[in-house]
Amino acid sequence: MISDGMAEVLRLLQGDDGFDAAAAVAALAAGTLGVSGLTVSLATGGDRAELMWCTDEAAGSFEDLQFTLGEGPGPEAMRSGAMVLVPDLALVRPERWPALSVEAAGLAARAVFSFPMGIGAIRVGVLTLVRRTAGSLTDGQVADAQVLAHALTGRALGSTVPGPDGGALLHAVVHQATGMVSVQLDVSLPQALLRLRAHAYSSGRPLTDVSRDVVARRLRLDLNGNGNGNPSPVSDKD
Amino acid sequence: MAREQQLTQVFVEVADSLIDDFDLIDFLHRLSERCVELLDVAACGVLLADEHDVLQVLAASDENTRLLELFALQHDQGPCVDCYRSGRPRTNIDLTDPNISQAWPQFTPAALQSGFLSTNAIPMRLRGRVIGTLGLFQTRGNTLSEADTALAQALADVATIAILQQRTLAHSETERGQLQYALTSRIVLEQVKGILAERWQVTTDEAFAAFRAYARAHHHQLSHLARMIADGEFDTDQIPRTAPHR
Repeated sequence: MISDGMAEVLRLLQGDDGFDAAAAVAALAAGTLGVSGLTVSLATGGDRAELMWCTDEAAGSFEDLQFTLGEGPGPEAMRSGAMVLVPDLALVRPERWPALSVEAAGLAARAVFSFPMGIGAIRVGVLTLVRRTAGSLTDGQVADAQVLAHALTGRALGSTVPGPDGGALLHAVVHQATGMVSVQLDVSLPQALLRLRAHAYSSGRPLTDVSRDVVARRLRLDLNGNGNGNPSPVSDKD
Repeated sequence: MAREQQLTQVFVEVADSLIDDFDLIDFLHRLSERCVELLDVAACGVLLADEHDVLQVLAASDENTRLLELFALQHDQGPCVDCYRSGRPRTNIDLTDPNISQAWPQFTPAALQSGFLSTNAIPMRLRGRVIGTLGLFQTRGNTLSEADTALAQALADVATIAILQQRTLAHSETERGQLQYALTSRIVLEQVKGILAERWQVTTDEAFAAFRAYARAHHHQLSHLARMIADGEFDTDQIPRTAPHR
């Protein structure tokens, strides 16, 4: 169960139209999670990432450093798809992140926790929490951070296409269709999911229904007509 | 095979998995198959709660998409949700009972349509917490005895232990991290089913059969091989298109 503080963060996140409120939301999230700062980086291909959220200089410097060096909790979480929790950087074996262990000594980050953002093999980015003092997150804070990472994933993947997916991502068929469309259109998995959602939106049908049609080969998004995957102007549904 | 022999086989598999680096999804799939044999049920699925407390399918006795979808329907209604919330098993639920179809209006007709007449849900427990459920379906009107239910609970506990034991990941420090990794692996597998089905122009079920046969024959972990395929780091032409007999 998520905390009231995180519920408020998610509510603000939903109402936020882009950039104006992001700094305030990020700061509130950091407070709720009991850390000094946090960053959100979006994957831009390979191990590279672009900073989207950054609450303060200490968190930003650490994020810069680990993505410049290509090692650390953030890059590792993004690569592996699993969270990487480091309650005390001073206790990490140097061979785990050799360059980082040298460079990070001068930074004000003592505990670092990275949560991957993504859906299966789709890697969207990483949420990294930084604290000046050593110590673990509580189980509730880990759960809160996971939920935040999940919400940020949806936002990063869906920002161009409005409309809720509901519980569509629970359905195996949506992930199967994503894989199929990526081959049909020769695009990446995240782009394939976007095209599926765009088609669902423009045809006014649930994502699961569209996905079932793709998997059953009743629909191909690479054919012209209404299956071209580009959202056509939405007709008046009244 | 006698039940004792089947049980012995399960224990051998479990012991193996706890020693070696093993593939969780494949292990749970095999465990689901064993549940079907041992408990004399028609289908079995392992459902795990995600960070939103929503149940997701991790593995099933039969990988066909229809069965996976039936388990997926239990994210907000059905015996598995009740069992997850209460922490108590729900056994011998008659799907033809009008009260049941009223309580679970989407789940019940879908289950009946798949030929199932009764269902059971067994909690997967971890130190006082419930992390998921084992879902069982029967096509005949047969019931689970008390002894069957106890055995089902033992198998559910084995599934829990396996999930927490997975060593595929060097740095999974927390239980939550392990649970999340398991769920992510499942999604990667579905994405890869789609990639292979489209590349080979076969159904997703056929694609998965060929994929799994190849992974097992070459001692690849399903999850690891799936990730390599999704990342374009594995030439899928190496995989024979038709599954060798299992």
